[in-house]
Amino acid sequence: MAFDKMELKDIEVWDGNYAAAQAMRQAQVDVVAAYPITPSTPIVEGYAKFLADGYIEGEFVMVESEHAAMSACIGAAAAGGRVATATSSQGLALMSETLYQASGMRLPIVLNLVNRALASPLNVNGDHSDMYMIRDSGWIQFDAFCPQEAYDLNLIAFKVSEDHDIRLPAIVNQDGFMTSHTAQGVKTLSDDAAYGFVGEYKPMNDMLDFEHPVTHGVQTEEDWHFEHKARQHNDLMTKVMPKIQTVFKDFEKLTGRKYTPVEKYDMDDADVCVVCLGTSVETAREVATEMRAKGIKAGVIGLRVIRPFPFFEIAEALKNVKAIAALDRSSPNGAAGMLFNEIAGALFNTGTKALLSGFVYGLGGRDLTKAHLVALFNELQANADAGKVTTKLQQFIGVRGPKLAFL
Amino acid sequence: MKNIKNLKEFSTSADRFEGANLLCPGCAHSIIVREVLNATNDDLVLSASTGCLEVCTAVYPYTSWDASWIHIGFENGSTAVAGAETMYKALKKKGRLKQPERTPKFVSFAGDGASYDIGFQWISGCMERGHNIMHIVLDNEVYANTGGQRSSSTPIGSSATTSPEGKKSYGEKINKKDMMTIMAAHGIPYAAQVSPNKWKDMVKKIQHGFAVEGPVFINAVSPCTTEWKFDPKDTMHIADLATDSLVFPLYEIINGQELNITYRPKNVVPVEEYLAAQGRFKHLFKDEYKYLIKEWQDRVDEKWAYLQRREEARV
Amino acid sequence: MAKKGWDEFEIGAMLRTFDGKIDNIAATQQEDRAYSQNSSYTASVADWRLIKPVFNKDYCIDCQFCWIYCPDVSIISRDKKLVGVDMDHCKGCGICVEVCPTNPKSLLMFPEQADEESVIANWPKKDEEEA
Repeated sequence: MAFDKMELKDIEVWDGNYAAAQAMRQAQVDVVAAYPITPSTPIVEGYAKFLADGYIEGEFVMVESEHAAMSACIGAAAAGGRVATATSSQGLALMSETLYQASGMRLPIVLNLVNRALASPLNVNGDHSDMYMIRDSGWIQFDAFCPQEAYDLNLIAFKVSEDHDIRLPAIVNQDGFMTSHTAQGVKTLSDDAAYGFVGEYKPMNDMLDFEHPVTHGVQTEEDWHFEHKARQHNDLMTKVMPKIQTVFKDFEKLTGRKYTPVEKYDMDDADVCVVCLGTSVETAREVATEMRAKGIKAGVIGLRVIRPFPFFEIAEALKNVKAIAALDRSSPNGAAGMLFNEIAGALFNTGTKALLSGFVYGLGGRDLTKAHLVALFNELQANADAGKVTTKLQQFIGVRGPKLAFL
Repeated sequence: MKNIKNLKEFSTSADRFEGANLLCPGCAHSIIVREVLNATNDDLVLSASTGCLEVCTAVYPYTSWDASWIHIGFENGSTAVAGAETMYKALKKKGRLKQPERTPKFVSFAGDGASYDIGFQWISGCMERGHNIMHIVLDNEVYANTGGQRSSSTPIGSSATTSPEGKKSYGEKINKKDMMTIMAAHGIPYAAQVSPNKWKDMVKKIQHGFAVEGPVFINAVSPCTTEWKFDPKDTMHIADLATDSLVFPLYEIINGQELNITYRPKNVVPVEEYLAAQGRFKHLFKDEYKYLIKEWQDRVDEKWAYLQRREEARV
Repeated sequence: MAKKGWDEFEIGAMLRTFDGKIDNIAATQQEDRAYSQNSSYTASVADWRLIKPVFNKDYCIDCQFCWIYCPDVSIISRDKKLVGVDMDHCKGCGICVEVCPTNPKSLLMFPEQADEESVIANWPKKDEEEA
């Protein structure tokens, strides 16, 4: 063996960044091409240290920009091997063109996106602006709410992305600083068990197979483009979710940890519900339990899979809820928030009587506190009692100045 | 290394680039590509940046490439091939190459727009990191694929669509960027300027580029019948004028330091003849712009003197 | 090529040049390769031409200039001898005629509809001025 294995404890204390780096190490990635940007930098620093200490046999290239990082990843993936990288915010914005190119070429790549605000003004803290920016890019998108999930979802992402029926790149999101720099107990897999789960990389249309030369990245004009894009959308709409479910089941068999595209907390008889992403999910769960003690039937939904959007699963989970709050951690800049819109789309035409209101919160790392959520659940209950939304449809939480409410 | 003693031997090559592509009749890009690909028998992993070559040779459902080839975008052809080369190194280390005994060559083709301008950083990164790749610029001195807009390779006095000649202008006002010196300054093992009419010089340089370890930068002049405005049959004649007038001198730089001039024309042709043969310089022959022709000759003479001094001084 | 539906092609707009395996491309001449229908080799640009080159082997010295300077891989040379012009791929640019060194030239351009046998029979004589 040209690299050393690591003996991990059953439970390690890792932050989200280090957990992601460990998962990448265990997956035995062939090429990592990356560029540093706060708050994802420690992922590549951790990976570089593993390499320097002899734990990694693959290649590691620190390139001159994030666009070059994804470009090199695409070239490496097309050549035929396991590829991964990490970035945030401005770096994601810079490489955004290449994300569409990677997914259009149906190349498996895993990107650790440590969610951070987008300039201007400049901000290094966590929000979901970057995640939202590339939601139409054709990448599979997972969301980790804590370091354990950052670790688990990396291993799951490789397995889903590289499947020959899927062949789509995948993003594992985690909140900048709130997950990436917060250490928690992470139940680990041994190096052998983790690699065994992900499996060996199986090449397809690989450029390094000289007996079968391939042409990648052609041009398609008005007579072919639509069919190629339609095919990509079709595969995202029909093949990806079943594959994710299968891999979630396999992971549960191996670890006992169960993941679902729509993570439901106390939803069976919930009257009011908060739908959100990232670390807010765990805060909301705590508050929901406290609201239950006060007699309010509160539940929480965290989206585990953002793309493909779990359209029917979300509608099913929300159909009997009386009042729903969609929390968006990104400024929609002139419209209702992404989660609000996508949930509304899923609930429309279903005959549901649920009320839906939207909230914009936490931009640039502004905290979402338990007090905020208590007030929110109380408001939802008021909506449910009145049979209508008693406030404007879109409200900003936690911003100084006169109350901001629209629609 | 493939032994190519003379043109007759060279003609026994089996081309790995196909016709029935969409390049203009008389396009020098394909002449250069053919000479490069035929210079080796090794397997090839190729890329092209967005531009004439890419757009005309890989339009679904046709490909003109007989070797593995990738196009990602405009800036990043060089990085694409660097990524493939990195994967090759990884798979070699891990013993997962399908044909481990083969020694592939990694070549990136890009126009002057893609190389001198929008892809500059990407190429610089590849040269700096020492990837075992060859980046070849197909230099037609404009953004030809989109109709001939100026690039930083467009020479003074050339009429491009975004620096056109007119009642108040003689066209491009900025001197052509010296890409060779900039790339050589990265300390790469080999940089060379080539022209398709001097096939022996080109093949020798390409073979040397394939033989050295590390990044190689090749600047190839590609006379463009459509944008330089000459008859398609005259492509090689224009290339002859370019090299024999020393407008496009053929030289190489070893390890970023030593410069060798590799072609000294027996009869040096006046620059005016080179300019007169192309429609894009036609306006320079008006009375009010004729002084630019003298300036052109002075610039070419200066550059030639500089190249000879560097060659002598071995720096 | 027939326009396929979205479900009828391989993903990623990826194209394969050959059908099946090819052992050593650089050692296999075009006529011996198993090109797929996605290789442009199987397409034709003959309809681009208004004029075409006609090859007269009586004057050819097999110098190979036309072979190397043809942009479209349309001068066919085998065993160091000129065989002819690939009329499926020739675009009629005229470079081959310009670079031909013989006197009279071994390649000349004629209107697309010209009858090859008769133009060869009436080939121009040696140009005494040039000689």
